[in-house]
Amino acid sequence: MKLKKVVALLLAGAMVLSMAACGNDGGASSSAPESSEESSAAPESSEADDSNAEAENTTSGVDLSAADCTLEMWCIATESDSNRHSYEAAIEEMASEYPNITLNWEAFENQSYKTKIKAAMAADEVPDIFFTWSCAFLGDFVAQDKVYCLDETYAEYQSELPEVMMANSTYDGKHYGVPLTMNIVGLFANMELLEEAGYQEIPGTYDEFIACCDALKEKGIIPFGCAGSETWCVTEYLESVIEKSIGADAMNDIFLGRATWNNQEVADAVDTFQSMVTNGYFDPNGISLSNDEVKANFMAGKYAFYMNGTWNCADFANDENFFPKVKVAEFPVINADKSELGQLIGGPSDTLAVTAASENAAVAAKYTFELGKKICHYGYLDGCGLPAWTPYGDTSSVNALTQDVAQICNEAKAYVLFGDTAMNADEANTYLDYVAQVYGSNIDGKGFIEGLAKDIR
Amino acid sequence: MKNKTYRNVTVFLFLLPGLILFIGVLIAPIIMSVVYSLYDLRSISTQGMEFIGLGNYQELFTSGSISFWKALGNSLLLAALSVFIQLPLSLGLALMLGKGVKGERAFLSVYFLPVLISTVVIGQLWRKIYNPDYGILNAVLGLFGASNVMPTGGWLGNVSSALWCVFIPTLWQYVGYHMLLMYAGVRSVSPDLREAAKLDGATDAQVDRYIVIPCIKPILRVSVIFAVTGSLKSFDLIYVLTNGGPFHATEVPSTLMINMLFERNRYGMGSTIAVLMIALCFAFAIIISAVFKERDIYGKK
Repeated sequence: MKLKKVVALLLAGAMVLSMAACGNDGGASSSAPESSEESSAAPESSEADDSNAEAENTTSGVDLSAADCTLEMWCIATESDSNRHSYEAAIEEMASEYPNITLNWEAFENQSYKTKIKAAMAADEVPDIFFTWSCAFLGDFVAQDKVYCLDETYAEYQSELPEVMMANSTYDGKHYGVPLTMNIVGLFANMELLEEAGYQEIPGTYDEFIACCDALKEKGIIPFGCAGSETWCVTEYLESVIEKSIGADAMNDIFLGRATWNNQEVADAVDTFQSMVTNGYFDPNGISLSNDEVKANFMAGKYAFYMNGTWNCADFANDENFFPKVKVAEFPVINADKSELGQLIGGPSDTLAVTAASENAAVAAKYTFELGKKICHYGYLDGCGLPAWTPYGDTSSVNALTQDVAQICNEAKAYVLFGDTAMNADEANTYLDYVAQVYGSNIDGKGFIEGLAKDIR
Repeated sequence: MKNKTYRNVTVFLFLLPGLILFIGVLIAPIIMSVVYSLYDLRSISTQGMEFIGLGNYQELFTSGSISFWKALGNSLLLAALSVFIQLPLSLGLALMLGKGVKGERAFLSVYFLPVLISTVVIGQLWRKIYNPDYGILNAVLGLFGASNVMPTGGWLGNVSSALWCVFIPTLWQYVGYHMLLMYAGVRSVSPDLREAAKLDGATDAQVDRYIVIPCIKPILRVSVIFAVTGSLKSFDLIYVLTNGGPFHATEVPSTLMINMLFERNRYGMGSTIAVLMIALCFAFAIIISAVFKERDIYGKK
């Protein structure tokens, strides 16, 4: 119950701290409510039965029990994806509750899905429901009128899904996505390896942290693993270093186009990150590895730290040998004049949306909310992230690691959304290109800021 | 006269389905690509696209961040490696098997097997071979005391080694394909010619050099065209192995095009790269045909 309160409170408060604007791609703009009153209206918890019964009140005029159709859905919950189980459980529950609605769903690998969904949108060969990332990724489809507006249906779910959680999928004041879970970048540590280096806890200050990395190196332990072949993994490190050097507000301003990249403090932060690479804190082979390979190495005890999304809590919790060894914390503050603990990278990004071309768009919309609520529920129980929806039912089984993440988020002061989600596709790829070059030591901080200032804004 | 008209109409009608298919599947998309390449098309819809003339071409050739020249250079290097390493190897195998060695069918099947395997599977297979932690390549090198040969960053993660590491699976995969083409040519050479040369005292090498190879030149030309255009269009294996990385070291026009089209949503720029790839493939096919024509064994042009 205590955990539920923590989650409800953090959901109510956390999102209003940041991401006041996103999805500015293609003229779409965010309408995230900024008043804390509105967000605090979210109930602390609600029982499953109540929430389901409430959902049956059809202000959109759609009654799922009476609907009889087949819906198609694409997502990225592949067999190896942390969210797989939550999708399967939610879909199974939906099938028993609404037997007349058949859901045919397919899951695709993350990177190839990005290509597939864009090509399918261009060709108008899209499923009824599709997984998407919020902000700029979804914004591009919205700007092209490819996405069904969910305003009418959302009215039925406002009490369970706080408006603040809809902010990243709201464009020109209209809602287009159903958020599932929210995640932040976590600093995961293998405590067994840290203990070998003489550390019982994850160091809380940057100086201690660097001393810890040196101690690990002396013991022949590689401090960090980072997948260079998937540049988004490098951003999990780099963005944390930049945020803890220049502060969340300054970083949000840059990501959202309100300030230039040509900022010496950013260059210094990039140099800080690069010095960690050149000092040998990172596995040199990581540059050719995929994220799955790096994660497997971390779980096998090759690296002491692994910075990645908190959706990994599920996989860590499912490994009974590894789980007792792992702890999570936030990256320490580098410049206390500019940043502070509680400034985090992340937010609700995983989203389901309905295509405007769907023949059963209204039914699909309501089905998506119901399905999204259940995926969120099971995803939270599995430890795939924190719930975007108000939690319901018994959540006492949530793993300790996810509870620690909830605690970190509960003390959050500001969020900066993942850079490649906040920016439009072209800018995000240019940004990732420069991040990769930093990781490969092809350019330094100065080259990073000057290049981005020239090529992005 | 009436009969002639009737015959022409009949011929046209029989050609029509193929013509429609040819225009619809090949010509129309090329024309559309050319048209799109003249626009700044940054979304999945043609709404609001802006005509910029040759702006995309200019940006492609002059922008440092797009790295088109690097991609083109890599393609040409792959083409050269294919022509000067892959094809001679294929020819050698074809000549050897064409002589009728024991277990000829089994060898043919073994060499051709990689062609039948999905490229994605091959890519994943070679990713495992190159893996810096458990890859078989490092394990084998370790047996010979050369475990420290691996470059920093791993075989696929080092700028210097990545392109070579991409080329080796390509060679392995398609050497059987070219070998089969050439083998068919070698087997079609009349045994009488071989026999006559042997009677004149020619060695096996001389028979191959002066009889067989000149006879299969049309097939060699086809192989060279396939190897060069295939290298210019190479995509799948590179996409799976490195996706153009690290730091564009294995970037080729196809991976760049996919990046522009589906990752950056720059459909105009993606079309520009597609048009250039088509033009390059045509140009190389014509050049190669001309080169082989000049050296026709009968001295004709």
